[in-house]
Amino acid sequence: MLSIDERWDLIDKISKKTVKFGKYKHTLKDAVGELTVKPLTGIPVAVAVLYGFWSVFSSFAGFCTDGFLVKIFDGYWLPWLQNIFPGGLHNWLYNLMVDAGHIENGVLVPSDNCFEAFGVLTSGLFVPFGVVLPAVFIFYLMMTLLEDIGYLPRLAVLIDTVLHKIGLHGYAIVPTILGFGCNVPAVTATRILETKKQRFMMMTLLGIFIPCGAQLGIMEEVIPDTMGFVILYLLFGYFVFGFILNKIIPGKSPEILIDIPPYQRPTIHNVRKKVWIRVSGFLKVAVPFVILGCLIVGVMYITGFMDWLANALSPLLTNWFGVPKETVGPLVAAFMRKDLAVAQLSAIEMTKYQMITSVVLVSIYFPCLATFIMILKEGGKELLGSLAALVASVFIFGGLIHLIWILLGVA
Amino acid sequence: MKILLMGHPNVGKSVFFNRLTGSNVIESNYPGTTVDYTKGYMVLENRDIEVIDVPGTFSLEPKDKAEEVAVKMLEEEKDAIVVCVIDASKIERGLYLTLEIIEKGYPVIIALNMWDVAKDKNIEIDVKNLEKILEVPVIPTVAISGEGIKEVVSRIKEAKPVKIKNIIKNVGG
Repeated sequence: MLSIDERWDLIDKISKKTVKFGKYKHTLKDAVGELTVKPLTGIPVAVAVLYGFWSVFSSFAGFCTDGFLVKIFDGYWLPWLQNIFPGGLHNWLYNLMVDAGHIENGVLVPSDNCFEAFGVLTSGLFVPFGVVLPAVFIFYLMMTLLEDIGYLPRLAVLIDTVLHKIGLHGYAIVPTILGFGCNVPAVTATRILETKKQRFMMMTLLGIFIPCGAQLGIMEEVIPDTMGFVILYLLFGYFVFGFILNKIIPGKSPEILIDIPPYQRPTIHNVRKKVWIRVSGFLKVAVPFVILGCLIVGVMYITGFMDWLANALSPLLTNWFGVPKETVGPLVAAFMRKDLAVAQLSAIEMTKYQMITSVVLVSIYFPCLATFIMILKEGGKELLGSLAALVASVFIFGGLIHLIWILLGVA
Repeated sequence: MKILLMGHPNVGKSVFFNRLTGSNVIESNYPGTTVDYTKGYMVLENRDIEVIDVPGTFSLEPKDKAEEVAVKMLEEEKDAIVVCVIDASKIERGLYLTLEIIEKGYPVIIALNMWDVAKDKNIEIDVKNLEKILEVPVIPTVAISGEGIKEVVSRIKEAKPVKIKNIIKNVGG
């Protein structure tokens, strides 16, 4: 075996005999590359890119869902099922599969949309296919383009200084952005971070504060006016808790050196393949969990367990967090899927501010089951630490938003 | 027989892997896309051969968890042939990892990938001479467009272990 110096020495000799470095020409590609990394020009470009991302995402998702899918599901699918499915509002199987109905002036009435119906065949299909699929598709299409062009490492360079304040480095932006698609692959992507401390922090912050594409899609549908606040509040939490975790967790946060790859033209073949892998991966994870979530929540309502739970947790929910006790249902659903939980919240009557609080709550209070399993696999026993951080952040952060509303006089 | 694809992060190992096996591993233009290994199969002379896409690593002393996976993979597959994928525009550091693998006694074949980028940068590499010095096949490739992949496949059987002494002797004073 050679020593490190001997090896470099040998490489030097080899390269002298075989490699000729010609005069390097500055190309247009290089110029663009530099403009997107230097802060003065890079930050406006980054803002423009992210804003563009956001506008395309929301307009495409809205176009598909409001323009077509809502009309199909609410106008045809739900009435047809209500008509053809045996039983009726007082039959438990009908409640589980088609429509749980809701109480209006003391009378049980049928639902008129797929958000409220909460049956396996109605909400269970409408949420993943009607609302979330278009959102996830457009998200992955654009993320794949950014990836293949080679923009992400440049974004990492730009945001490096900020992320250093919370003990991470710029490259943490890669798992974070992946997490806006789905937290499951994002947790695996934390392997590119060097120390246990950084990996632990990243997984915890991802699991608690980064809403996934499915959740973004459904928020875009049910609370388009207020979702900006929700996301701001979550990002605020990402940095505040990152800062605190960085202070209390022992371990190092070393500097990282990364290669910035040259810009490349994405190939249609690769983009198509990658979007397909990711969207089909989403469907495989999401659909079973959404359906399972509908079933579990449905059974809990039918057996009366949900009402019992709502009453038991009512002091905590109404006094500390300032949300109606009915939110307990969505909180249970959020164990399975965040998109399902937000859909369910939209059917509960409450003020705009309570809605913001409760959406923040379902986002942060537990990573969805699939993410939880992934963190368990990747982090092992550090998961306990994550859970402790989770409990602390739910109470402090959920209480804090209630306090903000009280101070603003809107609670 | 097994084939390991090894090299630095973001040199195109996953593109290579997909080309060789027809699999669908995620490829992106940033380092650290592959953090776990993936196995696939290719047919060589009517035999099914296992190909493994290994996460990128700078050296055999791992710095992060993805690199640990890479080094462990190499240690577990004692009788594997290693296809070293090197970024031709950054050939020297690619050779560092290659030499480390050669020193461990693995049969090696080198793909000088991103040959187009090297050309853009006006870097000329004397491939014939490099082959003579290292005593292993060296093939310029552009994995994204598929250039050179066929040659890599046809010359995999030429891969053989090389004594580091020979390389030192070949390169001379």
